[in-house]
Amino acid sequence: MLIYRPDGAVAQDLDRSAPELAPALPVLAGCRIGILDNRKPNADVLLHRLANRLVERTGAIVVRADTKNAALPCEDQVLGLLAEQVDLVLTGTAD
Amino acid sequence: MTVDTCSDDSLVEFPADGDLVAEMADRGWGDGLPLVAPTPERVDAMLSGPNEPGGPSLDPDEVISILPPRFGEASRRILAVNAVMAGCLPVHFPVLVAAVRALARPEVNLRGINATTHCVAPLLIVHGEIARTGGYNGGLGAFGPGNRANATTGRALRLVLLHVAGATIGAGDASTQGGPAKYGFCIAENMDASPWPTYPTTVGVNAPSAVTIYCGEAPHNVHDMESDNPSQILNKVASAMATTAQNNACISQGEYLVALCPEHAATCAEAGWSRHDVASYLFQKARLPAAELKEAFSLRAWPPWMNSLNDDELAPMTGDQKNIRILVVGGPGKHSSVVPSWGMTRSVTVAVDQQVSC
Repeated sequence: MLIYRPDGAVAQDLDRSAPELAPALPVLAGCRIGILDNRKPNADVLLHRLANRLVERTGAIVVRADTKNAALPCEDQVLGLLAEQVDLVLTGTAD
Repeated sequence: MTVDTCSDDSLVEFPADGDLVAEMADRGWGDGLPLVAPTPERVDAMLSGPNEPGGPSLDPDEVISILPPRFGEASRRILAVNAVMAGCLPVHFPVLVAAVRALARPEVNLRGINATTHCVAPLLIVHGEIARTGGYNGGLGAFGPGNRANATTGRALRLVLLHVAGATIGAGDASTQGGPAKYGFCIAENMDASPWPTYPTTVGVNAPSAVTIYCGEAPHNVHDMESDNPSQILNKVASAMATTAQNNACISQGEYLVALCPEHAATCAEAGWSRHDVASYLFQKARLPAAELKEAFSLRAWPPWMNSLNDDELAPMTGDQKNIRILVVGGPGKHSSVVPSWGMTRSVTVAVDQQVSC
């Protein structure tokens, strides 16, 4: 029996299902690390503790930024500032 | 077979005597319930629709919407495939197409709706002529079960979310507990029993047929069998709204859908209350002490004026009375319901284009 697939194509120009990651940094010493807090409860606790450990171990510099709301994509302006100011970003927490 | 313009990889071979549900589940398709096989003949019939022969034809591969988080292309053909799988009739197809158009509006925030740990599901509300011709139920037992139009169109919308949007458990849907509304959530507005103008006209949509997408929880019942005046009934509705156990409590832009049963609506209208009056009263009455809300939620998406309320003042459960959406649903009896919102989403109403045949 021949049937149609129910899922269809993924929009090629909007395919964000597999975003291309920036290359990993070889060393973290002296890096500028961005903390992007998505304002989920406890995100600040987890991310800041992680950042502090990295600072202790590597001497990295930490830059902190917030999204306005966890349920919405981060504003382009915030992403643009982070892109200018840091070498890597820690983010991506849920409840 | 009458397959027209489609690429070969859009068709797959299944054993005719196999278990379709199991075979599809192996590919990550379906909602766990039995499915109708979307054969080319059935999909063509769905696309042909109920319209008169000779009418203008539409491109079956036109993309109606792109749906996140998968960013799948919801073409008419793909929507027809999912409509067949859900058990829809061709007369239901225009409703599904309009619903998918509405879902993709940015204010709905479909990516958040699908990805959240909350139990939110899009409620599809059918208004006007198509509700009658399509057999949608806005009367007794409107939220289900037992009506094919409501059950299959609501299910088709969920299948579209699962397959096209990629809102599958774990990968694209992080809902902690899920919810029954995620199987299918479709009702009609009961215009025959409503004392007020049809809902779409209140949001600027003047069309013979329309659909509304409202993303919220499952309905919370409000029963009042003894009151003979609006305020007593609506005080109970306000009580169902005024709780910290819902997202509206910390997200002031969240809407409420208040589905009044015909008898409660009649009590309000006979006392001279308009839909606007009902919403105004609920905005005033559905409140909690600011201190209670602040204690419950250290993180609040509130405007400055709400955050500046003193602890002993009452804070409204939504930041604007326009966020309280009133419509009439149900049959005889004295049970209304409140459908709280997920919060970071806005309801959308669009006209139904009944000329969707291809």
